[in-house]
Amino acid sequence: MTHRVRPFLLLTLAALAVAAGLRAAEPARWWSPGEGGRLPAYATYPNEYGEVGVLNSSGPIETKGHPFFEPIGTNGRACVSCHQPANAMSLSVAAIQERWRATKGTDPIFAAIDGMNCPGLPAGDPASHSLLLERGLFRVFLPWPPVTHDGTAVDPEFSIEVVRDPTGCNTSPRYGLTSATPEISVYRRPRPVANTKYFTHHGFGVTSFVGKGPLATVRDAETGLPTSMNMMADARVSTLKTQAMSAAQSHLQIAGALDEARLRKIVEFEGQVYSAQVRHRAAGDLMEPGGPPGFGVRNLAAASTGVLGNNTTQWVFPVGDVWKKLATPAGATDAPRNRMRESIARGHDVFMFRTFWIRDVQHLNTVGLGNPTKRTCSTCHGMHMTGMDVANGWMDLGATNLPWAREEPLNPWNQRKPQMPLFKITCKASAAPHAFLGRTIYTQDPGRALVTGRCTDVGSIVMQQFRGLAARAPYFANGSAESIRDLVDFYDRRFNIGYTAQERDDLINFLSAL
Amino acid sequence: MTITPRRAAVLFAGLLASVTTSAAPGQQRSFVACPIVRDTSTVPCWLAEYEGETYFLTLQTDVSAPVNPPQLGHQVLVEGVVADEPRVCGGIPLKPVVLSVLPEIDSSCSTMLPAEDRYNLTFEPPRPPGPSRGRLAFDNPNPAPRRAVPETLPRTFTLQYDFDSAIAFRHAGVLQQIQDVVVKQKAARVDITAYRAASLLSNGKTLTERDGIGRRRAEQIASLLKDAGLTAVTYQVQWQDAPPPDGLDDAAGRRVDIVVHD
Repeated sequence: MTHRVRPFLLLTLAALAVAAGLRAAEPARWWSPGEGGRLPAYATYPNEYGEVGVLNSSGPIETKGHPFFEPIGTNGRACVSCHQPANAMSLSVAAIQERWRATKGTDPIFAAIDGMNCPGLPAGDPASHSLLLERGLFRVFLPWPPVTHDGTAVDPEFSIEVVRDPTGCNTSPRYGLTSATPEISVYRRPRPVANTKYFTHHGFGVTSFVGKGPLATVRDAETGLPTSMNMMADARVSTLKTQAMSAAQSHLQIAGALDEARLRKIVEFEGQVYSAQVRHRAAGDLMEPGGPPGFGVRNLAAASTGVLGNNTTQWVFPVGDVWKKLATPAGATDAPRNRMRESIARGHDVFMFRTFWIRDVQHLNTVGLGNPTKRTCSTCHGMHMTGMDVANGWMDLGATNLPWAREEPLNPWNQRKPQMPLFKITCKASAAPHAFLGRTIYTQDPGRALVTGRCTDVGSIVMQQFRGLAARAPYFANGSAESIRDLVDFYDRRFNIGYTAQERDDLINFLSAL
Repeated sequence: MTITPRRAAVLFAGLLASVTTSAAPGQQRSFVACPIVRDTSTVPCWLAEYEGETYFLTLQTDVSAPVNPPQLGHQVLVEGVVADEPRVCGGIPLKPVVLSVLPEIDSSCSTMLPAEDRYNLTFEPPRPPGPSRGRLAFDNPNPAPRRAVPETLPRTFTLQYDFDSAIAFRHAGVLQQIQDVVVKQKAARVDITAYRAASLLSNGKTLTERDGIGRRRAEQIASLLKDAGLTAVTYQVQWQDAPPPDGLDDAAGRRVDIVVHD
């Protein structure tokens, strides 16, 4: 199978190289671990939609010796390896492919532990890294049966069977389900490490009890306060400190553990860095005085956290009316800019006010809203300024569960083979079933259920922030949407929205400006 | 099972209803059916059919509303009283009404009706879609007058459950209140008593919750409070069957009573 994949992979990389060449005039700045230098208080980086900005609200950062930027593990990676400023503190697949070309696959991001489809595959072969190179996915390996955040063993409500294992990892005698230390490997995108005050807040929605199943909120061990549990795709850790500790051990393969001083520096850095699109290629400066107060990094740094947006006093993204109808004298040179600004404003209204039937989403349609519920994008993406949920934002949208997950069409004319693993989940009769998929579920990634062991959590993923989207394609936790257009089209198909061409373009323009 | 006068009255009313299909104000209606959602030019409304009559259950509101809409893909247990009010969306209103989404999937429950002008709902002022405060949003449309803050904190709490269901999203708020009281009062003991109940349907049949649901409810509450940090408290956990249903307020039997002691 590896040999069948390789020609296509090389073809893909070649095509992407051509595409990247078109943008070669403005190569994105890559921060290598330990290279030193100063990360400015404010910097911008180009992307296909314009520029993303990175704001260090506490001032410039000297990266030499800083644990976020130093290779603190044994595989040469630093935190910055997968959280690049040019990619809105995440990592785009374009940047990954560029690193492959520039380093011939030796950059630490391609480390075998999780930058390879499964450790032990042939080094230097793009096919060994196909999920990272094509979809920007790193391997996340979790124990089975699950353990909670405090290490307590969980008796799962379901059994799990490997139906398809294109990476070989889930059936591997060393890394798989039947190994001496049984693990499940799923493949996920790195999340943006920016604007963190919005998912470490203690405002609206953060209480002692979750409500989505019998669950007490995970507390910060140091403060004793409940957390929003909005940080990771499966909410398995929920503070910046515990995430750093976990990532250092798994992704960076640190020998031992991070000491308190380094942890504190990492957390301090992550708590003050903001990222958002600041310039749009057609709409121009997104932060100009008098412009919409919802755009750009400075507005993001200044806004309140823990606020549920609403449609009367505090929109999710407060763009106001300033771009709704712009006077453009005949022949004015700023006409194209104004048309794009008007499109972005309309796109906001599509996001905020265009209703459709949201249907069969576990942990959304099951929490008291009814199924279906006639609402808008902002119903789920409701947190002011970020479009996350305010707390406990996991739900099964269908991005990883069949029948909605992106699957490779199988037919004699398609050379491509499925890339993602497929698991069969069989829930015990005593367990509450998944409300819309029942007790037998096929999934590429059980998501939150790999932590809770609950049938109702199969396929539930914590939703992400909308900021800096233009800088960090692809999207969804499994990288299944290659572009913002793909992202919008998924929802259009999933909920039979029926966007007009104008609505679709406006929404894409709006999202690309965030 | 003994036939009490109230039970006999309900059975008679059920029999009468099945013959006449009339729905007189004040009559109890308890039945299992597929919910139906009808679109309108504003928010959708939820209906169910029973014995040839259409009943209005609720509007789409928000998670904090007293009544949450049911779910297509599942049957719903409807327990309500026929109201002496005009039809809404073509259905006779049931007020009060308790709706329980039954856990197992029923793919035959899939009816969505299009909007029709005759079933239009108007709201003044008009409410735009999207997350909102105000009417049909996070506030109760008919909020009770604010009462003065009691000098003594409440010590007894009741969690009401959907049929055959364990903890639900709406319970998080009550659990938070319990935790606050335990912490503020430095409570030493929490008594948890859970009930498994049955419902007497309008057709005379009895629908009984599954075995073990009472125990599960009780143990789940104790576990949640412990996980929330209330580990220094003694828990007295018990479960039992609710009294036999009489078809009048059977939903009240599906509950967990919690008493906080110093």
